[in-house]
Amino acid sequence: MNWSVYIVAVLLASALDAGLGGLFQIGSVRAEILPSVIVFMALAAPKKLVLRAALFAGLVADLFAPVILADGTPLVVPGPRVLAFALGATAVIPLRGLLYRQNPLSNSAAVTIFSAFAALAWIVVSILRSVVTGGSVPWWPATGTSEVVIQFLGALGDGVLALPVFWVLTRTKPIWGFATKTRLTPGVAREGL
Amino acid sequence: MILSRMPQFLSGKRLDWGLVSLAFVVSLAPSNLLRPWTNDVARLVLIPLVPVTHLGSVLRDRIRPSLDSFDPSRTGADATEVLALNDEIDRLRTLYESSRLDSARLEESLASIRATSTRAGKGALIDVAATTGSVVANSNGEIDGIVRINAGTRHGVVPGSAVFVRGDVFAGLTSDDIGAFISTVTPSTRLPSIGCRIVPASGSDPAQSILSAPGAVLKPTGRGTWTADVASAGELTVGMIARVADDRMPRSALGARVGRVIAIAPIEQVPLARRIEVEPIAEAREATSAVVVLEAGAVPGDASAITGAPGGRR
Repeated sequence: MNWSVYIVAVLLASALDAGLGGLFQIGSVRAEILPSVIVFMALAAPKKLVLRAALFAGLVADLFAPVILADGTPLVVPGPRVLAFALGATAVIPLRGLLYRQNPLSNSAAVTIFSAFAALAWIVVSILRSVVTGGSVPWWPATGTSEVVIQFLGALGDGVLALPVFWVLTRTKPIWGFATKTRLTPGVAREGL
Repeated sequence: MILSRMPQFLSGKRLDWGLVSLAFVVSLAPSNLLRPWTNDVARLVLIPLVPVTHLGSVLRDRIRPSLDSFDPSRTGADATEVLALNDEIDRLRTLYESSRLDSARLEESLASIRATSTRAGKGALIDVAATTGSVVANSNGEIDGIVRINAGTRHGVVPGSAVFVRGDVFAGLTSDDIGAFISTVTPSTRLPSIGCRIVPASGSDPAQSILSAPGAVLKPTGRGTWTADVASAGELTVGMIARVADDRMPRSALGARVGRVIAIAPIEQVPLARRIEVEPIAEAREATSAVVVLEAGAVPGDASAITGAPGGRR
């Protein structure tokens, strides 16, 4: 995998997510581009690199999303999304052999699964942080249940947004430098050649 | 010897687990350990990407403008002129309410000064200037997270400055995370509380004291709105406007519109009080630009202006 292309793609996706803001928002639910970029990488890059690449994307996402403390001051906490994206990527890796990647809906499903697992991890880490540091959770004063619902609806939104994003990313595939291996399995058909 | 073996030791799964463990530790680190460096690092990463985020903001505004752009009050007159006049009326109304609230505050302050006579000779005239910044980025992840504008210390922005959108709508305060060319705004819906007076949309009654208008302390609900308990027999109707009347806020925010009452419900335990829900009139994340009002502070030596702005920023 070409790391420089991946880093640029992650930074661009994060910047566009920050700039486009409410464009992909319905009510309290907002879809983002970054999960599609990570899943695109996770489905094609060597397995040993997927986790590290997801960790990097999580770090960038954390830098772009400071939490607002109870006194109204913002604070960048590098970590919650790093762990969230790591879990999301770990959930996507087993899907590599199951998905028919030419079907756009399968990519969309993979993004939804990634985002759902990432949301779950982010909520757990945020609760742990509030317990350890004695602060409030980022979604305060809303309830945890409402946040879970919002995050999971957001995961569905990410899946829908993945359709056009994957269309664009697929056209840039040659520059990503993904190694493609074709495994030849001996069989009756080959023996006849 | 040990150092030379480190790259081999830290590779493969060990490296992955090491990075995950590091992320876990940093996630749970106390805020006072993170505050000195994480905001600065985030700003360093963001600044080169501001052209991209700004492009995104412009695209968003072109593709999905805020609903106020489609004002139904279009008549036979030029729509642009009608909107401009509406904005002008709102601004003048805010100035009027601001001066009334200020006058009431001055009267209280005068009484206090006469009683104590301790502050004589110290001026408190507030010197006000303003700078306009474009909204260049929103927080990823949270809907009503922080907003970044391209005005910073080079433009005179200081922490705690009032930020306005659409002329006179109080949209939040600048936080202490301010760079040379970029600053972070904590939206009004995420401030711990805002003291307000609830006045009719058409303006307060000049015949009555502004202090008779119901007061409320808006608390965020987490859904992008506020709730407040109003212990006043004054008239309360849906559509009334909440205007800032809070000594903790900058002087320039006094009287500014902040929200609109969208629901009123009785409180069973307190029959004389009512609970209201207030929605923001406009939010910084939906705006393309915002005005930051810079208050230079007290100008000493003006004895005549001793009571000029008792509610000025501390």
